[in-house]
Formats: sequence, structure tokens, C-alpha cells
Amino acid sequence: MAIEQKYTDLINADIDGEISASEKAGLQAFLDESAEGQALHDDLSSVCATLDAVKSEEPPPHVRHVIMNTVKPTQKPKESPGFLQILFATSAVKYAVTFAAGVFLTLSIVDSDQISDRAFDDVTGLVGTVSDPVNATLANSISVNKPDLAGTVSLRSAESMLILDFDLVAKSHIDIEANYTDRSIWFNGFGQLESEGTTISAETGRIRLGMNGKRRYAVYLHNQGGRETTVNLRFLADGRVVHEASLDYTTAR
Amino acid sequence: MSRTDDTELIERCRSGDRQAFEALLVKYEKPVFNAAYRMLNSRDDASDITQTVFLKVFESFDQFDPTRRFFSWIYRITLNESINWLSKMNRLEPLAFEAADEGKGPEQEVDSARVSRDVQAALMTIKTDYRSVVILKHFLGCSYMEISQILDIPELKVKSRLYTARQQLKDALGGKH
Repeated sequence: MAIEQKYTDLINADIDGEISASEKAGLQAFLDESAEGQALHDDLSSVCATLDAVKSEEPPPHVRHVIMNTVKPTQKPKESPGFLQILFATSAVKYAVTFAAGVFLTLSIVDSDQISDRAFDDVTGLVGTVSDPVNATLANSISVNKPDLAGTVSLRSAESMLILDFDLVAKSHIDIEANYTDRSIWFNGFGQLESEGTTISAETGRIRLGMNGKRRYAVYLHNQGGRETTVNLRFLADGRVVHEASLDYTTAR
Repeated sequence: MSRTDDTELIERCRSGDRQAFEALLVKYEKPVFNAAYRMLNSRDDASDITQTVFLKVFESFDQFDPTRRFFSWIYRITLNESINWLSKMNRLEPLAFEAADEGKGPEQEVDSARVSRDVQAALMTIKTDYRSVVILKHFLGCSYMEISQILDIPELKVKSRLYTARQQLKDALGGKH
């Protein structure tokens, strides 16, 4: 026989500690008479005890740092929203920040031995390029949570461009290698947010980066035809591999 | 959750005080992250949502109604962002179900990690409407009235959703705990 809703409500209220003394007395009288009601009370209490036993998860250590770094420009009260403020308010905020902050980008290209029709003699072209694909699609991401290195690396696609978005905090100098086997993909640019000191070098099939501290930067790869590929990442401290991961880009997405 | 403290911090945030914003961040980062994590079953996605939520809050202090409680506002944003994210991901591909925890190592933490995994797996089997009330009640410690305000639904509906959610979780957990 189904239990009346008023009693199921009271059972829930009792478990949640939101029951008055008179309601509690009424519920107890019902439970004394109803084995079914008592069983329901026991079952729900058990479920709630299990839920309440779950420990809170600690947020990754870089999250707070990233947020505080992103809100660095002091908000001025009673000022009409500017371009960046409007941009920050979008749902794609994290990536909008990366791309739309193109005006703040510092471009650091050390060397490249690639042969393509997009040589690196026009850095302003790179700024223009990275400002556009705000609507890049997330293909894959990995997180790193090591004692000396924490954060995320995401792979995004925007038309013929693949974007490696690095959001990392390193205690000391870290070298990062990004290897991709498809030789038709070439390095197309690099940008970093409000920081400097990250080094980058590119050669066919491989990008090398060096960083220390909190860094947010993006590496842009030209991927004509949107070919599927895998980017293999290696993180090294003092020449020792501390973490390895892969990011797949598949066209099925 | 002290209303007075939050109100004062928000006033300072409106004046561009980054330290006040950081104080709010320190206070609410963990519950926001946990709410997103329990909704999405992914630490990476929960990190993204946490960042998005706080950036939205930072940019929207002028829109905050001081007669309401700050936690109510930020939890609502968190759940909405999480549901939007789920909706977006469902459109693109089936929801990836990754392990909730890779294991923390020490023996004494194994049981708690297993409970957490099982609960998370069970949570992912119920609708987001039901998941939301469970998260607000059991992971964020909100009362019926607070849940009602956050979700903008009557208290009766909160109770009804909570009851259904618990029944479904009981079935999903299958007497494991």
C-alpha cells in the first residue's frame, strides 16, 4: 500500500531536521503503526547518511590563481562596460580571454625551421589571427596535478586552426614538448596573457616551451583540412619527465 | 554563511577592491567547485565552470540584488552554468563518464573514495533537476527555503524533488552503502 504523501513529506522533513515537535509526534505515531513507513524512513535515512558521508573535493590549486590573474584589471564602478568586460561576461569567458586579449598578447617566436607559406615575418598577422576564433570548439583537455606543476592544457579547434591552451603553474622551470606526427600541421603562432618569460621554439612536428611560475599561453597550429591528429605532451623538470599526456583531435566531434 | 560579511565584501568589490573579491573567492571557491563537480562528474570541467562563475560574478556585482543572499546568487549561477555546459556537451557527444577519483593512496582514504565514486555514479543517473536539489541539500548544506530561493521554485516542489531524487539514488546505489 502506498504511503500517503503527507507522511513521505514528514519522513523527509524528519531526516532533514526540518520538522516541528507536533509533526514529529504525528510521524512517530504513524511509524509505530506502519512497517512500510518505517522501512521507507530507514532506507531514506541510509541514502542521506551515504550522501552526507561524501567528502568535499579540493579544487585544483591553480583555479584561484587563474581567477585572480584574470580579474587583475581593477573594476571601475559606475563605468559603462568596455569591450573586455562584455567579452568576459560571455559563457566562453575562459577562452574569450585568451583570444580577445589579443591586443595584450606578446608574441615570442624564437625560431622555426618549418617551410610554409605562413612564415613568421608578420607578427601583426598573428595577432589578427588569434583575435578571431573566439568560438573555438573544445576537442580535448588534460589536467596536471603534480607537486611542482599544476593546471590544464586544452586542445581546441577553430576552422583550420588547432589551439593548444596552456594554463599552468610551475614551482620552478619546466620544459614542455608538444609533438605531433602529422607533418602537414605547422606552427602558426604563440600568444601569452599578461606575462612574459615563456620561451618557445618550433620545428616540424614539435613545439618546445619553457616556463616558470603562473603562465597562460596559447600555441596556434595550422591544420589545413581539419585533419585528425594527436598531440603528445611531455613535461620535464631538469631534463626529467615529470608528466606525459596526449590530446586527440578527431573530426567525429 | 554570514550575510553581513558577504554584504560588506560585495560593497567593497563594487568599489573595485580586489582583496574583497579574493575573500569571496576563498570562501566560495570550494562549494562552487564541488557543486559543479557533482553536476558534471569532471574535475576539469568543474574547474572551468568555477572560473566562469567567479568571472561572471566579478563582472556582475552591479546586477546583484543586495536584498538577496550572495550564496544564493552564486550557487544559482553555478548550477545554471553547469546545466548549460551539460546541455552543450550532450549536443556534441554523449557525456563522457570518467572515474570520479583516481585514488588518494593512503588505506584509510580508500573507503571514502569508493563511497564518493559510487555516489557520483548514482548522481549521474538522475535528472539534473533532481541532481540540483541533492547537491544543494547534501553538498552545500542548504535548507528547503534556501533551495527554493536558489532554484526559484516553491518549497513543496523542493521537497517533492528531494524525495524522488533520494528514491532514485537508493535504487541506483542498490544497497551498496
